[in-house]
Parts: sequence; C-alpha cells; structure tokens
Amino acid sequence: MNAREAILGRLKDDSDIDIAAEAAALLGTPERPTVDGAHVEAEFLARLALPSVSASHDVIETIFDLPAAVARYLDAQGEARALCLPPDPRLAGCDWSGFALHQDAAPDEAAALAIARKGIAETGSLVFETSPQAPMLPNFLTLHHLVLLRVADITPWLEEAPLAGPQPRAHYWITGVSGTTDIEGTYVRGAHGPRFLHVILLRGDFPHMSEQ
Amino acid sequence: MTQSKVALFVTCLVDMMRPRIGFAAIRALEAAGCDVVVPEGQTCCGQPALNSGDTDHAIALAKQTIVALEPYEAVVVPSGSCGGTIRCHYPELFEHDPEWLPRAQAVAAKTWEIMAYLDEISGWKPEGVQVDAKATYHDSCSGLRELGVKAQPRRLLKPIAGLELTPLAGEETCCGFGGTFCVKYPAISNAIVGEKADAIEATGADLLLAGDLGCLMNMAGKLNRQGSKVRAFHAIELIAGMGDGPAIGEEA
Amino acid sequence: MSGAQAEAASFKDRADAALADRILKVAVERTAGTAEAKRAVAVDAFPDFQAARTRAAAIKDHVVAHLGHYLEQFEANATAAGAKVHWARTADEACAIVIALCKAAKAKSVARSKSMLGEEIGLPHALAEAGIGRVETDLAEHIIQLADERPSHIIWPAMHKTREQVSALFKAKHRTPHEEETIAAMAESARRELRTQMLGADVGISGANFLIADTGAICTVTNEGNAELSLVPPRVHIVTAGIEKIVPSMPHAVHMLRMLARSATGAALTQYTTFYTGPKRPGDRDGPEEMHIVLVDNGRTQMREDGLAEMLRCIRCGACMNHCVVFRQIGGHAYGGTYPGPMGAVLTPVLDGLKQSRDLPNACTMNGKCQEVCPVRIPLPTLLRGWREKSWREGLEPQSLRAGLSLWAWVATRPRLYRMGTSMAVRAMRLLGSKGWISKLPLAGGWTRYRDMPKPAAQTFMEQYRKENGR
Repeated sequence: MNAREAILGRLKDDSDIDIAAEAAALLGTPERPTVDGAHVEAEFLARLALPSVSASHDVIETIFDLPAAVARYLDAQGEARALCLPPDPRLAGCDWSGFALHQDAAPDEAAALAIARKGIAETGSLVFETSPQAPMLPNFLTLHHLVLLRVADITPWLEEAPLAGPQPRAHYWITGVSGTTDIEGTYVRGAHGPRFLHVILLRGDFPHMSEQ
Repeated sequence: MTQSKVALFVTCLVDMMRPRIGFAAIRALEAAGCDVVVPEGQTCCGQPALNSGDTDHAIALAKQTIVALEPYEAVVVPSGSCGGTIRCHYPELFEHDPEWLPRAQAVAAKTWEIMAYLDEISGWKPEGVQVDAKATYHDSCSGLRELGVKAQPRRLLKPIAGLELTPLAGEETCCGFGGTFCVKYPAISNAIVGEKADAIEATGADLLLAGDLGCLMNMAGKLNRQGSKVRAFHAIELIAGMGDGPAIGEEA
Repeated sequence: MSGAQAEAASFKDRADAALADRILKVAVERTAGTAEAKRAVAVDAFPDFQAARTRAAAIKDHVVAHLGHYLEQFEANATAAGAKVHWARTADEACAIVIALCKAAKAKSVARSKSMLGEEIGLPHALAEAGIGRVETDLAEHIIQLADERPSHIIWPAMHKTREQVSALFKAKHRTPHEEETIAAMAESARRELRTQMLGADVGISGANFLIADTGAICTVTNEGNAELSLVPPRVHIVTAGIEKIVPSMPHAVHMLRMLARSATGAALTQYTTFYTGPKRPGDRDGPEEMHIVLVDNGRTQMREDGLAEMLRCIRCGACMNHCVVFRQIGGHAYGGTYPGPMGAVLTPVLDGLKQSRDLPNACTMNGKCQEVCPVRIPLPTLLRGWREKSWREGLEPQSLRAGLSLWAWVATRPRLYRMGTSMAVRAMRLLGSKGWISKLPLAGGWTRYRDMPKPAAQTFMEQYRKENGR
C-alpha cells in the first residue's frame, strides 16, 4: 500500500450527503466589513490611504495621460524616467518618449508598471493574474510599484476578486506596500517587495475595448 | 408569597478557608426572599480531580454531589469555577451514561453562581448597605467564560452607598491560580499573579473584589507578600452587608 | 539557551530560564501584546465577528468530515493544472520526497519561504543532511537561521530576539551590513543580503496557508514579498502542506482569509495573498517549469480518530498564544516543540508523544481565553483536559499527585469523615500562621514560596452552620 492509499484509507467517509451542496450552504451571506456600495471609489481610496496599506494615488481621464502621470510620480520621487513595462497591448497607444523602457526587471529595479484587473474597496487590494502579457516578477522586484486601475473595475468585496473558470498560473492580491514586523514587532516597509505603491486610476476605458 | 427553596453548595474552599462567604450568601439569599437549605451530603464538586484528568474520582464526587443537590428547586454556588464544574462539566462527565446523564443535566440546569442567581433570578438588589471605599473587580475566568458572570456582580455592587468601583486594567486576564496549576507550576503562576497584583495596585483601590475564593486567595496572598494595603473580599460579602468584617487574611 | 540546551532540558527548566529572561519578556510584550491590542480593534470593527467564527468553524468541520473527498478533488484539479501531487504519511517520508525532488533538479541551493509545516517535519535538518544549501528568505526565519535557533512563535519566529541581538548577527554575517542602528536599516541589509540568493536558487520551497479543492490552487499569505521572489524565479516550486489545509472553494477561502490576518495581527489582509495553480503556462514570462505539492499527514488522520478533529480546524493565526497568560510569561521556546502556546500544547503530544510532552497540557490555568479568541472556535481547554485524562490513564502523572487526589477523593466521598478531617485540617493550618497569614506551608511550598496563604477561620462553615442550626 502506498502513502496515498494509506492516507485515503483512513479517511473513508460513509455518509451519503451531497457534499457540494452542504459546502455551498455553509457560505450563505458571509459576515464582512461594511462597504458603501454607492461610493466604492471613495471607499477604495480610503483603504489605500490607511497606514497599513500606505499607497499613494493619482487620477487620469484617458490612457493617453498615463505617461504624464508616471513622469509626475517618478520626478516627485527623484527617480529617473526608466520603467519596466509589461507587454500589454492596452499600453501600446501611449507615448513614452523621454522614458527608458524595458520588459525584464532587474533585481534592483526602480519602477515597474502593472495593470490590475480589479480593485477591492473592502480592503484596498489590487487583483492581478499572470498571462503572456502580465509577468509577475517585476511587481515584486521593483522598489516603486505603479499600478493602473480602471475606476470601473473597483468592486466592493473580496468575493469578486477571483476569476471564474480555468485558473491562470498565479492569481494574487496586493494590499499595500511590502512590510514586516519581524524585529521587535516594529513595522518597517519595503522588506523584500516594493516599498512604494502608487495607484493610477483611469476614469475612462482602455483603448480598443470592443476588440477584447 | 411562597418562598423559593434554594440549596447552597458552599464549596470546599469556602467551607475550609472562609466560611464568612457562605454566611454572606445565605444572608443575601434570605434578603431576596429565599428559603436556604444547606444539604448535608456535600463536600467537594470534584473539580481538582476533573482538571487533573482523574475521571474516575471526578465521577465519584460528581455522583455524590448530584445526589445531595437534586432534591432542590435551585442550587446556588458562591464560586464561578465550582458552578461551572456542575453546570458545564457534569453533563460532559456522564455523556455516555444513560442513567446519570439526565440527572446531571437536571442539576446543571438549576445550578447558579450566587450573583447571577440574585441578579437574574431573584431580581434583587441590596438595600441600605454602606461601604465607604474604592474597590476594583476581577472577573474570574470560569465564572466569566463558562457562566457569563460579568454584569451581574457590578449591578449588585452599584447600589452600595459610598462604594466607588474603579475598573481594573486587564480585569478579564487570568490571575494565575488555575486550581492545581499554581502549585504544579508555581514560578509561572507567580509571574502571572505578580502582573495582576501590579495592575490591582495601579488602580489605587482600597478593596479587591471577585467571585471566586481561589482567585482571591491567590491575588490577596501575593498582594500581602508584597506589603500591599489592598484588602480582598468576595463580592457577596459586601453585597450581603458584611463588608465591615475582616478581609481575607485579617481573621486572627 | 542554545538549541542544544533547549532540547536537553525539561519544560520546567526551560520555563525557569524564560522567566528569568527580562529581555524575552520585553520582546513578547512588543509582539504578542501589540497583536492582542490590534486584534481587539479589528474584531470590534467587524460586523458580527461571533457569527463569522461559527461559520469558519463549520466550514473547517465540514472539510475534516469529508477530507478524503476533498483531497482527491484537490489532487485531480492540481494535476490537471500541471502540478504533481505527492503524499507523505510521516515527517520522514515528506522530507525524503522533498530531498529526492531537489536532487532530481540538481539543486545546489533552495530558497525557503516561511512554513511551520516545514519546521514540523524537520525539513531544514533534512536539507542540511543532504548537503543542500538552504536560504531562509522570510526575515524572521533568516534571523533564526543565522542564530541557529528554532522559531519561537508561529507568526513571529524571531520574536524572542531584540534589535541589539539582530544587529549583532547581521554585522557578523551579512556581506554589506547596516551602518545606522535602526530597524529599517537592518531590514535593508537583509533585503540586500537575500536578493541575489533568492533569485539564484534552483528550487523554491513553500508551505501553503490554504489548499483550494475545486481549483487545485495553493494559497500563500505573506507580507514581505519574499515568498513570491523565492517561488516564481526557480525552475521548480515545491509545496509542503498539511492535509487539513483544504478549503472547498475560493469563496470559502475568502471567508477564512477574512478571519486569518485579523486574528493574527489585526490587519484586514496581509500584503500578499497569492494563489498558484500549477506551473507556468505556455507564453508566461516567468514562473516555475515544475510544481510539486507534497500532502503531509504526520498525525493528522490519527487526530481525527483520537477525538482531536476540532484541532484540525486550526488556521495557524497565533491568536491563542498571543492571549495566553502562560505564553506571555514564558515565550515560545519553553514549549520545546514546533508549535507553542495553547495550540502547541494540543499538537505537541501528537507529534512528539505524550510522555515527553505531558507538561504542556498541564501548564495551563484553563482560563479559556484561547478558546474565546480562536477564529474557528477550537475548544482548546477541552482538548487539553482530554490529554490530562489520557496522561492519567497511562500513569504518566506524578505519584504524589495521584496519591494526594486519591486521598482527597476517598475522604470527600465520605461526608462524615470529611467533616472531621476538614475540622482538624483548619485547626492544624491555623497553628502555622501568625496574625491572619501563613507564610510557610509544608506540602504546598509551591504556594508559599511566592505568596502568603490566609489563615482559615477557627471552624469550618459546616461546623458553624450546624452549631447555629442546632444539628
């Protein structure tokens, strides 16, 4: 008997019940924090500003305003206009003149941009998945993490974060800057991941939305 | 008015170490209109055996206690831990015993911690009691978590004229008594009660009050060893108008 | 005390050493004390936390009741996503699987993100024995790796270390240590030190906070970013997880996640909640080529059979130990096992045997605070009392205690004899005291070493009552 058989052998379940139905019934209306559904953007921004999240933000009207917003942020931080950019077609129409762009992130990468699929107002979380257009490593190597998020993609609850259907390799929620309290319980930011998180909210739509 | 007939389960600690608490319980119950009986067959509820894992002796003592108490309408106990043993743990002890389980459940259902009984069942408040002092209250763990004793002592102490109740920081934090724990692991118990004693001193209170003699002896014993002037009583003593008597450790 | 000393000593010795350690006390208050305060704020702000606890407990009980079904579902879905699922009955089997996978990958070094299960199965030791370099990337795990110690808390493994102790360690061992004596500078030093090591590892090894049955995903809950940096670059990602980590689906995971960080640190979520489903996909720019998930039993199926099923609800939040008066005095190392505090007192007898660890269920006041704060309502005092019963039945309790309780019970079941005995005892005790107090009590030296005992009254209650009522 191998280990699998041995373990499963000790877990025999004679009950006749509909396990999936029982599991679903246990969820019901889950208890969760209050979020004003009529003002999700404000709620989301309020969570971003919490010391535990410590994310700054900016607002742009169209995707074409993105390079200017990034430049604003990097200049204010005293960083060069060099950016790690994912191969996402939604960014193709932007004018990045004046920027040094690259796709692969260095271990000491200064700034990387990513596009979040959702923003969760309940926690101020940003939701990402991996894909050929969305690498994961730059988002964790970089010192400054810049995240583009459509205002229309802000949703109240964590239940709305996951994708239905087949899963990508990684689905992850980023809730604030990297930090640790491992030494004497004292909080420091930028443990291994980004020390700075800057959310750029897009009021309009991504270009070529109808072609997606 | 027909009087409620209640049985007092005095507890082994009160019986041996501070009978005043038992008499205070009777006085308060009678003031609340109860007819109090002290059943002969009571000795110890069996908690020391229960908490040591000595199930056989725990069962023997539980059976004796059930027999002594079951003839009465209600059972009142001046201790959250003994009350908790009877109410919560007796039914567990007899879970697989078809003869004793219903008897245990019946006694459990009618057993009350003294202050919970006076406040919730009798709906009684002390009248004409005066104690000019500042007091702080420690919530003993069993009474708090097993029996929900929290608001009742405070409601009963409130009408006492001249008594100022000041909150104890960490009032729900265990004092480190834990029954046999304090003698099995004395150094750890001492560290815990040392912090509790500091918190009590920090209130500036004259009096320490609680609902369990074990906790009170532990805290008062530590306070006295430290040279503290804080005096300790079981809350029922003040409530019954016996707060002018000797505090714990003052009986010559 | 050093790791070796800790192994040799008894619980009492370790506890005594801990009680004498003023620095440890400060460290414990800064972490566990802060966590207690922050959790209280988070719980107060959460609507109906008590109902949420009941739901979380019900979800875990449901999973444990149907664990075989869910493990098979998880295995099927993880495999369909391209992961390889392995099964291990024991700690040794689990380590052997991991070592074999590392050797197959020709790994010279592995990057580890924090995993208590890894600690439980002895993975650090197994890797060392196999000559495989191990980089601990979580800051606290890095600290204890440098100090050659074991973790002392499940959320803050290095909570027993002061900043001065950490500073000295980093100055001795880091290539480019900090210059400023600030915690931020020390964290920077660790960030520099570990970066290239993390990115250069051949294999990344993690635990899992949750295993999602209906997608085959594993979930890691972290705050530093080291997990992602250790698990995404290497060619191989190995996960070791206890079989009880299963939840049925993502919505169930969401509910458990709402409970986890709040109970541990008072946060709504940790910074990084990451779900990995299989290895990299075609076209992905990063990610491992291979993903292996080792499902570990190591006593968990036994717990189900031994009346400890409720302990399998545990989501490893650490709230119980943060609120435990005993843990707050002695810290984590005194417990002598992988897991400290109340949950450790229940688990250690399973993992290390009751004979060796009988002190842990006994060194508890049964105050019930742990049960009150547990997000999944584990009846910890009841489970600890169960170990005490087992210990009694197996004759592991000291003879003096057995004799004392037997005598007490014998007398107490004979009320007439009891009355006589107690009357004599109070008179005898009164002889030992002056004024109202006794400061030395034979047979109860444990009490009077530290505190006074009030003198009993001249007669027992029953004596006085009988006199007053003419019996």
